[in-house]
Amino acid sequence: MSLLTVSNLTKSYRCGSKTIAAVDDVSFHIDPGETLALAGPSGSGKSTIARLVLRLIEPDAGRIEFEGNDFLALSGAALRARRTRLQMVFQDPLAAFNPRATVARVLDDPLRIHGIAARAERPRRIAALLERVGLTADVAPRAIHEISGGQRQRVAIARAIATKPSLIVLDEAVSALDVSVRGQILELLLDLQRQERIAYVFISHDLGVVRAIAHRVVLLEGGQIAESGDARTVIDAPQSAIGKALVAAAPRLNRIRP
Amino acid sequence: MTALASIRDLTVTYRRDGNEVAALKTINLDIVAGERLAIIGESGSGKSTLALAIAGLMPRSSRIEGRVDWLLPSSPSSGAKAPLGGRDIGFVFQDPSASLDPVMTVGKQIAEVAYTHLGLTWPQAYAKAKSLLERVRLPDPDSALQAFPHQLSGGQKQRIAIAAAIAAGPKLLIADEATSALDTILQAEIVALIRRLVAEDGMTLLFISHDIALAAELAERIAVFRHGELLELGMTAQIVGAPTQAYTRTLLDAHIGLDAAPLLNRAGLDA
Repeated sequence: MSLLTVSNLTKSYRCGSKTIAAVDDVSFHIDPGETLALAGPSGSGKSTIARLVLRLIEPDAGRIEFEGNDFLALSGAALRARRTRLQMVFQDPLAAFNPRATVARVLDDPLRIHGIAARAERPRRIAALLERVGLTADVAPRAIHEISGGQRQRVAIARAIATKPSLIVLDEAVSALDVSVRGQILELLLDLQRQERIAYVFISHDLGVVRAIAHRVVLLEGGQIAESGDARTVIDAPQSAIGKALVAAAPRLNRIRP
Repeated sequence: MTALASIRDLTVTYRRDGNEVAALKTINLDIVAGERLAIIGESGSGKSTLALAIAGLMPRSSRIEGRVDWLLPSSPSSGAKAPLGGRDIGFVFQDPSASLDPVMTVGKQIAEVAYTHLGLTWPQAYAKAKSLLERVRLPDPDSALQAFPHQLSGGQKQRIAIAAAIAAGPKLLIADEATSALDTILQAEIVALIRRLVAEDGMTLLFISHDIALAAELAERIAVFRHGELLELGMTAQIVGAPTQAYTRTLLDAHIGLDAAPLLNRAGLDA
């Protein structure tokens, strides 16, 4: 059974007198432990889909089924409880976190708010989470703005896995990282997926990374699905105009290498 | 080979929280007139500091040692005369929303450069702005002249920032991560635009980027920076095909291209 099933999702914004369909009748599903990439140019609707799936915004129409439940019908305590299973990591963790918080505080919040661990047990849990994402416990007392971008994204991942989610939405989560750090974070994500069977919605405009990490890809343009399928099959031989344009625009070293 | 700029023993130090931090350490580099030179590096490599130091845009709190000697048409003999930002050097930054004035029309922002540096009248400067908008292939230049930056998309704003940067006919165009905030398709369009404008106007290009594959497609030479030092400098084919530094190899290997081996296989996750 699918972990997440999105059916006929639609979301429009009014811009002056015009109505713009940011997401227009989009349907897809994700299986447990699977990575589905949403790829497309700026304005194609990929981040709006992420926000809809997380219920940070509400759709105009469509259905979202998550872990067998009508996710859009949930509210209040039931929604909060279900949200522990559905986490997110954004491009810029500095913008996503309270900049004055320490690493320990950032990780303590979900454990406390969702009642996952008692106060006395939380320092041990925080240390374990840090270790799980390749950090040592000595970063716990440091401020979020003091640590490096790669460390910060590891903390964001630690926070996401603190509630034992079955699905994490990664919105351009590796796009702002140095290339040497990016590879390590991708390896960490794959390792977590293998160990914990976490599914990912991986949002990116970089088809090279999508091809390397995703099982399947949905290519979006203007809020609609242009093409979807096995990530390597689609990217190695795109059929849609936007797929061909994205592939043609990707920088490649083998044009220069002998 | 004529050097447009000769950088000698350039060291730049910032003061941060009472500590001296060396952003650049004894850099020696010639920028050849008419070349497309890429400066490659990760966070903290000093690549943006180099661009700012060359353009004379460093904050006063920084300490600059060493010299940059210029050979500009306006100073043919000594090279002692410093170039003028905006006239001799055009600068394109990563975020056009931050570099364009939000409450000034696009037309005025470009015309102002031509008015200031070329001695044109305002009507002439506006005519120049319109022709520049045509050169950067902005759709409907007439209405764009009257538009404010927020009314345009990210890619269009970067085209306007480029138009303003080249308005006074600079010898050197510095693009500092000018495509990093754009999606892949816009990035390729802006790179093609920069390549065309540099060729048409005979400009020298300094292309600052974290992306070695992107830089390799545009530049004739690549300089690799790390921790404020120039590690390696060479022709693009040599840097990409036969780098001498292990770090350059690391950067090349970290590139995830469309032909890269999928990471999924290594993780044994394939269904």
